[in-house]
Amino acid sequence: MNALFVICGLGIISLIAEIANFRKWLISIIVLGLLGAAALVVADWNTAVAYYHDMLVFDNFSLAFTGLIIGSSLLWFWTASDFFEALFHKTDKSALILFAIAGGVLMTSFNNMAMLFLGIEILSISLYVLAGSRKEDLGSNEAAFKYFLMGSFATGFLLFGITLVYGATGTFQINTIANYVLTHAGELPSFFYAGALLMLIGLAFKISAVPFHFWAPDVYEGSPTAVTGFMSTVVKIAAIASFFKIFATCFSTIAPVWYTILLVIMVLTLVIANITAVYQNSVKRMLAYSSVGHVGYILLAFLADHKESDGTIFFYLAAYAVSSLAAFGALILVGGKEENTLVERFNGLFKRNPIVAVGLTIALLSLAGIPPLPGFFGKYLVFAMAINNGMIPYVIVAIVTSLIGVYYYFRVIIAMYFKDAVAEPLKVSTSKEVLIVVLILITLALGIFPDFLIQLL
Amino acid sequence: MQHYLISLLIFTPLVAACICLFLPKKFEKAFRAVALIVNVQQILWLLPMLVGFRASGMFQFVERSNWITLNLGSWGVLKAEYLVGVDGMSLPLVALSVFVLLIATISSWSIQKNVKGYFVLLLILNAAVIGSFVALDFLLFYLFFEFMLLPMFFLIAIWGGPRREYASIKFLLYTLLGSILILVVMIGLYTSVSDPVASQGGLLVHSFNLLHMMEPMNFISNTILDPNNPWQIGWFNARYWAFLLLFIGFAIKLPMVPLHTWLPDAHVEAPTPVSVILAAILLKIGGYGLLRIAYPIFPEAAMHFGMFVGIMGVLSIIYGALNAMASKDLKRLIAYSSVSHMGFVLLGAASVTEEGIAGAVYQMVSHGIISAMLFLIAGVLYDRTHDRIIDHYSGLSSKMQNFTALVLVGFFASMGLPGFSGFIAEVMVFLGSFRSNATNGVLHESLAVIATSGLILSAAYYLWTLQRMFFGPFHLKANIESDAIVDLTSREYVMLVPLAIAALCFGIFPQPMLDMIDPFAKYLTALVIDHGKAITLNP
Amino acid sequence: MQPQNGIPIDYYIWLAAALFTIGVLGVLYRRNAIIIFMCIELMLNAVNVLLVAFSTYLNDAAGQVFVFFIMAVAAAEVAVGLAILIMMYRNTKTTDINILNRLKW
Repeated sequence: MNALFVICGLGIISLIAEIANFRKWLISIIVLGLLGAAALVVADWNTAVAYYHDMLVFDNFSLAFTGLIIGSSLLWFWTASDFFEALFHKTDKSALILFAIAGGVLMTSFNNMAMLFLGIEILSISLYVLAGSRKEDLGSNEAAFKYFLMGSFATGFLLFGITLVYGATGTFQINTIANYVLTHAGELPSFFYAGALLMLIGLAFKISAVPFHFWAPDVYEGSPTAVTGFMSTVVKIAAIASFFKIFATCFSTIAPVWYTILLVIMVLTLVIANITAVYQNSVKRMLAYSSVGHVGYILLAFLADHKESDGTIFFYLAAYAVSSLAAFGALILVGGKEENTLVERFNGLFKRNPIVAVGLTIALLSLAGIPPLPGFFGKYLVFAMAINNGMIPYVIVAIVTSLIGVYYYFRVIIAMYFKDAVAEPLKVSTSKEVLIVVLILITLALGIFPDFLIQLL
Repeated sequence: MQHYLISLLIFTPLVAACICLFLPKKFEKAFRAVALIVNVQQILWLLPMLVGFRASGMFQFVERSNWITLNLGSWGVLKAEYLVGVDGMSLPLVALSVFVLLIATISSWSIQKNVKGYFVLLLILNAAVIGSFVALDFLLFYLFFEFMLLPMFFLIAIWGGPRREYASIKFLLYTLLGSILILVVMIGLYTSVSDPVASQGGLLVHSFNLLHMMEPMNFISNTILDPNNPWQIGWFNARYWAFLLLFIGFAIKLPMVPLHTWLPDAHVEAPTPVSVILAAILLKIGGYGLLRIAYPIFPEAAMHFGMFVGIMGVLSIIYGALNAMASKDLKRLIAYSSVSHMGFVLLGAASVTEEGIAGAVYQMVSHGIISAMLFLIAGVLYDRTHDRIIDHYSGLSSKMQNFTALVLVGFFASMGLPGFSGFIAEVMVFLGSFRSNATNGVLHESLAVIATSGLILSAAYYLWTLQRMFFGPFHLKANIESDAIVDLTSREYVMLVPLAIAALCFGIFPQPMLDMIDPFAKYLTALVIDHGKAITLNP
Repeated sequence: MQPQNGIPIDYYIWLAAALFTIGVLGVLYRRNAIIIFMCIELMLNAVNVLLVAFSTYLNDAAGQVFVFFIMAVAAAEVAVGLAILIMMYRNTKTTDINILNRLKW
């Protein structure tokens, strides 16, 4: 909770930075503040306090995901520092990002549907604006508009679902709903199930699972690369956390109702996202599809055992977030001002700048799930859980799709090492080189000693 | 010190690789020096191991510490250990690796392009190779096994010949497919095996320990790979499938016909030192994995599919030899002869007799030495003329006497002439496969008879090559400078002569190494036959 | 659930579902951005109607409080949405969303 206060406070400080004229210090203040927030998360560990009549509960699950969100945001601020330097409205952008982070924290810690709704909206509205922050670029406009449209469309479904669930159970508190469902099994009105399914659809939009993913590639491609990096890490973590929380607590007892539907969604997500990714010429769009594909693996873990999968999902997301941030960081550097991320742009990157090339290679290998990188352990834990639960056919599907994944990630790697360079050497600031080394070290550490993180939950 | 020798062997190159990363690019000599120092140091650490090794079926120099312990709630505990040790099979292979890596480093002196990157990758590969030979924990083994793939991929991809892109991707796809198959079995074993020591008081500890996996008692009942009640999937039960998946996974690496097609391409495109490592060490991981993992963990499946494995081995021997005979490129010829010789490993393993298994291990070491020498020979020629087509040369012996002498040694050793290491290995494999029918009924005698024709074929293609390239009147194809044809340099002597001596030594005095291997072969044979029978008795 | 004032709760559910469906179909089929905005508002208002109805039937004020949340957030959302629309209009001089095809599969 204290972390949430700090993040909101930082957002307000950003807003007044323009008036009070301390823009220069703003990023340093934000980074220090986020570090403080992370420290507060650590201090709150193992406390599980409820706030505001149980509307927010900061138990270890929320704290772990909050910590992950804050950690990813810190690294994101480092990767995206040019995003704040390049254009004006620096303070507005940082305020929007901070409020989006606050929304994300709400999405991990809500205990009341109203807080879930508010969290999603705080996060989304900030991002609608950020997605369109390249105002002159039609692609960015289009991304903002599509994101807005699909976001509010999904919110409509989610709200209708919440309303029906409320009508059936008489409460918005998720633990009360869970109890009610447990004690009144068999006498729930049919519209309760309709409500649960509508919420499933609404949240499937938010986590961008196939067939509710079609907005994601467009939005990811059109938005400024830095914002895309934010969406594919922080936003995804928050969305998955809220999805997990709703379905593992509220609707855990009516699992038979949504299980088959989610199973179909999972298989579709794995297959369609990974196959479509093969046909992309833009690396950014390819990463968008791959981030949709990763949701499929997370859903596989969730379906294998929705109660016990939190540790696995948490580790998978952490591994994914680090690798994804590294990949988007490299994308920002390679894309340059015009944000051109076609595969050809990566030709001969190893000759143009070996550090960026090696960093991107390790990130892509981790996303592809090659040991000893953390992506491998994430996939390993998911597969082991699924096999334990007798989901062998689905594991085979997942293994085949991850092989397809290796193919499209290697397309970029091949371009970097085999093709001749198209441009002169790529100059990168020292801060970015340090960042790449830090990200590589974090990736390797997560890969070789994965137990530390998984043990948290 | 004595207790950490294996860790020192693995981690010295890794530390050296990290140091190299921080050295500026222009210190080209420093990278070479660091790599050489690491290799020499590794030999110094290996010597006490060779001296201190006691011939028995037990693992020695074992190091054990916790690595990953994960409490997954109702899923039990995931436990992976840093567990390394050597026995009569792995120690000769580790020694071979260290020796060949030293020679490969010397051979890498001529690399000019991006020296820093090259030696960093070489050092990482070094660590991964040693690690996979000593790991006794499946997860640790898998990690090292996969970790070999990437340095190798980049070594071929960046420093390779004209078709390097095609060759490296083919290599990557084949080996990745193989490792995915192994991964599937690893997950299955992980869910099925419990640690008998740590699992107490209702706590279920899933172990990756290979030694636990070899004991049928440790399988949890009603799990997918439980020997008492394995699931039926399609034609076979799950354990048979698991064996087949492992077999295919390792056979790709071995490589076995028809999964061998990546090998000639990779060899032709790879630079000489990389070819040497690929042929001499990486192929051995395939045979090692079969004998270390597939056979002892799934003994009844190994017995059941013995004939199939043997036939594939004989097929590799014959098909590889025929292809070698038809090759126009010297390196391609040697690559196919590797396929042929690794077939003996399969045949020896399939026989499940002491002689056969000892012969298979001996063949791995012997082929490691000989193939390293042959690829260096091809490299010597390629360095001078940038041409490896056999028909473009004739009568080289008149210009390169000493080189021709060493080529004779290499070719004769590879043919399996008496007095060379290959002879001992192949004779033992023949004995094993011949005796197999009488002792355990796995293989038919005819297989041994057919396999002997491989010897005749290999004599044919080597002698034919000798006659075409080295004897007769001196003649070169028009566009090759005859001035370039000069005899060996001192660096080349340093590389070739020790290998020739090793091939001779192991041919004339096989006893020391056989003493080392024999307890392992006895142990594995007994284990496979006893457990195989026990498991088939209670279906 | 027993009706308190003669109208069963099912009627409200069907009404809200009908309104909601009209909104969804409008979003999917109309091509004018302004009308799509209105359809999204229709979806949200369907939810509001149902929430108020449930709130009355359950004698629980939380539902009506939630309506205020939705109204406030919807206002903020539309403000941002219209701003995005204006930004787009400046670049394209149209509100037809068929021109949004720069980003394709």
